[in-house]
Amino acid sequence: MTAAKTLDPRTKLIMVLCLSSLAVFIQDIYVLGGVLLASFVISVILKGDLFPAFKQVKRLLLLIVIIAVIQSLFAPAGKTIITIGTFPLLTTGGLIRGAEFILRMAVIVVSATIVATSSSRETVQGLVQWKIPYEIAFMVSVGIRFLPMLTEEIRNVMLAIQLRGVELDKIPFRKKLKIYSYILTPIVVGTVIRAQKLATAMETRAFRAYPRRTSYMTLKMALPDYAIISFSILVSASVVVVYYM
Amino acid sequence: MSCYIELNNVSFSYPRSYPRGKVAINNVTLHLRQNEFTALTGPNGGGKTTLAKLAAGILKPSSGKVLICGKDSAKMTLGEIGKKIGYLFQNPQQQLFALTVAEDIAFSLELNGHDKGEIARKVKNMLELFQLTHLQDSSPFNLSHGEKGRLALAGIFINHLDYFILDEPTTGLDVERKNILSDIVKRFSGHGIGMLVISHDEGFVAQHAKRTIEMVEGEIVYDSSKDLRP
Ligand SMILES: Nc1ncnc2c1ncn2[C@@H]1O[C@H](COP(=O)(O)OP(=O)(O)OP(=O)(O)O)[C@@H](O)[C@H]1O
Ligand SMILES: [Mg+2]
Repeated sequence: MTAAKTLDPRTKLIMVLCLSSLAVFIQDIYVLGGVLLASFVISVILKGDLFPAFKQVKRLLLLIVIIAVIQSLFAPAGKTIITIGTFPLLTTGGLIRGAEFILRMAVIVVSATIVATSSSRETVQGLVQWKIPYEIAFMVSVGIRFLPMLTEEIRNVMLAIQLRGVELDKIPFRKKLKIYSYILTPIVVGTVIRAQKLATAMETRAFRAYPRRTSYMTLKMALPDYAIISFSILVSASVVVVYYM
Repeated sequence: MSCYIELNNVSFSYPRSYPRGKVAINNVTLHLRQNEFTALTGPNGGGKTTLAKLAAGILKPSSGKVLICGKDSAKMTLGEIGKKIGYLFQNPQQQLFALTVAEDIAFSLELNGHDKGEIARKVKNMLELFQLTHLQDSSPFNLSHGEKGRLALAGIFINHLDYFILDEPTTGLDVERKNILSDIVKRFSGHGIGMLVISHDEGFVAQHAKRTIEMVEGEIVYDSSKDLRP
């Protein structure tokens, strides 16, 4: 199947926009589950890279517990599961809130894999053809491109610090703060330096030399694109309408 | 101890390798002895850095075992390993953290709670040894490539460890600085400190190495300690 190749990046953006708006507006856990399932299926059809997305969501699982407890403490709802004295520590309502939060995050993470099935160049071009200024479109794509590098960099710095013979769990608390500065310094400096280099590289290639850019690549929407866009908007709109009626 | 790092039937492939599942290290068995300055050579992409990271416990083998001082590397924390082995990254930028050169050298001693006077003395020694004294208050990130390399070396040599793994320590060093590094390395191996040095610098290798290993495509194709040719 070549759906990922032929579908216009703008179509994917609209689908993702629909999915994430639904994820934000809907409070019902079952509907949220359905939205997640839909994003999941779309991502699989478009051959999205879901494996890293799984790992990201897994890391958020602990948050379920935290959110569930906080919600139960401050806005108890449903049946009480655990109590301390007379205070409800965990209620079914809280648990559901926690689960809803994770479902929302999962929708957004999976949506990102849908967008990522187009190259960043294509996505930028899609935005430009939507009359979004090229500079802004380019900035967005650079941001998306560099974000995963940042997490990798943090991991590398932690690794290098430990390799210098520092056992992180044996450092007295007072000095732990110092470690954060050692982690942040290279990250911040590195980011600034990279931004400067990128700017120079762009200058040398005459970025913004002319007010208007012509582009070798032009995107054209085909029938499936229009069909999918109309379908996505229609379905999301009706879900919202039905939900709020 | 005569055998410091032991790799037994070690294979490794990167999670994001291309093509998928391609092995970077293919069933390597290697014993690195502490009293033997070992040079690791081979073409780009041959797997030298990967092997060194496996030996230092930074990467854990996909199959096989790595023993550091007889202990399974997979069961050691990085901090524990860092107290036994000093590791110089191929890109020195990767191991500089602090705001000034002097602070960067002192960093591990400071966090491990060493005495202030002792730290100051050792840092001064290192600054002099690697000719960084005039730069002690500048930012590590503004140094030249060669200076960064020297700073990274100073940062790991300040810890008195039994084994050092250096990934291309001579790149970017001028002749004078390379000679200084040579002297340091010679002194260290004279004291029975183990060294595994990755280098394309034939002169440097010929000058120091007791043992030479060559890696091509993830396999050891030559090991001078096993070389039976006359
Ligand atoms: N993080 C990584 N992810 C995927 N593949 C990698 C990664 N790092 C290295 N490789 C691959 O593993 C193989 C061995 O790389 P390695 O860095 O060990 O080579 P090397 O001998 O150190 O080369 P050089 O002389 O250029 O430093 C190469 O084919 C490389 O493309
Ligand atoms: Mg290398």
